[in-house]
Amino acid sequence: MRILKSLLVTSFMLGMSNASLAEEDWEGPFSDGSTAKTFGFQEEEKALFTGKVVDVMCELSGNCADNCGNGNRLIGIVREADNKLILPIKNSQFSFNGPMEDLLPYCGMRVDVDGILVGDAEVYGSKFYMVQKIRESGAAEFSKANLWTKAWAKRNEEAAKKKGPWFRKDPRVLKQIEATGYFGLGHDADKNYAAENQ
Amino acid sequence: MFERLGAFLAVVSMAMFAQPAFANTSAKLIEIKGEVIDTWCYFSGVMGGEDAVIGSAHHTCALWCAAGGIPVGVLTEEGEVFMVLKYQGEDVLEKTDTLMEVQSDIITAKGMHYVRDGVNYIVVENVIANDGIQVLNHEDYGSVPPNSFPKNYQ
Repeated sequence: MRILKSLLVTSFMLGMSNASLAEEDWEGPFSDGSTAKTFGFQEEEKALFTGKVVDVMCELSGNCADNCGNGNRLIGIVREADNKLILPIKNSQFSFNGPMEDLLPYCGMRVDVDGILVGDAEVYGSKFYMVQKIRESGAAEFSKANLWTKAWAKRNEEAAKKKGPWFRKDPRVLKQIEATGYFGLGHDADKNYAAENQ
Repeated sequence: MFERLGAFLAVVSMAMFAQPAFANTSAKLIEIKGEVIDTWCYFSGVMGGEDAVIGSAHHTCALWCAAGGIPVGVLTEEGEVFMVLKYQGEDVLEKTDTLMEVQSDIITAKGMHYVRDGVNYIVVENVIANDGIQVLNHEDYGSVPPNSFPKNYQ
């Protein structure tokens, strides 16, 4: 159990590549030219494509907001090759970060993105995107999709001064843990778990 | 007369071709019951199997991911995931406490359902019931990931 736990932590925090997978396991219809990092996630494949950054709500319903909702709405990319709405749910950072900060500056623009699609489309209906690099389409250089943590620090100046990763000092996370504990079941559940396992 | 008919047809055809993309996406009011989940860990398998990345075992990680701006979903008993576009009419997803407070809870909700390219989306308009956390899987999996529970809990 301890070994399994260590492996989970190591693979998640460091984002180690799964060396046991052959290169072709990461290939998909949009893999050509991709230099995305791979990690051995479920049904993972590299994907480099061009598309338009959109406000998902607007795209689905016609209820549109200025600047894709200024960070308060889901953002997607309508892939030019097949008009498919791709939903990015992760940026390239490895500390629980979403893609909003990296996509929002490109709202309404034509972009090239490189990253990986994950998940079993036969089970979940589609794959979902981890955007690792982005640029305005045709620009010379890609930017790494890693802006979330800096943006968080700007929004949470006091918390950012404390030691440790953002998720251990985020005021909203701490508020919830203070209210209902680490398992969300109250502090007695935490105490019982600690007593039995530590 | 033919000029008027021509102008009318021109307007109609322009209106048809001017239809935005969302015209192909039908919406309907539905009721769903399911767990509010962190979609990255669920879809990617980064933390292990589906059973380990829901419920009490994954609660703190779900908080981290929701606070981190990873889209939130509702996982039904049938295994379908509905990506949340809005919650109770609130247009703000990432930077408020609203979705933080219901992470890992089993909710029953009504809302407008959209499907595009195989993905289910929902605008949660009304939460009818919140049964709290019902999947008590920390008894089987501990905390997932393990570092989401303090090493020396006091």
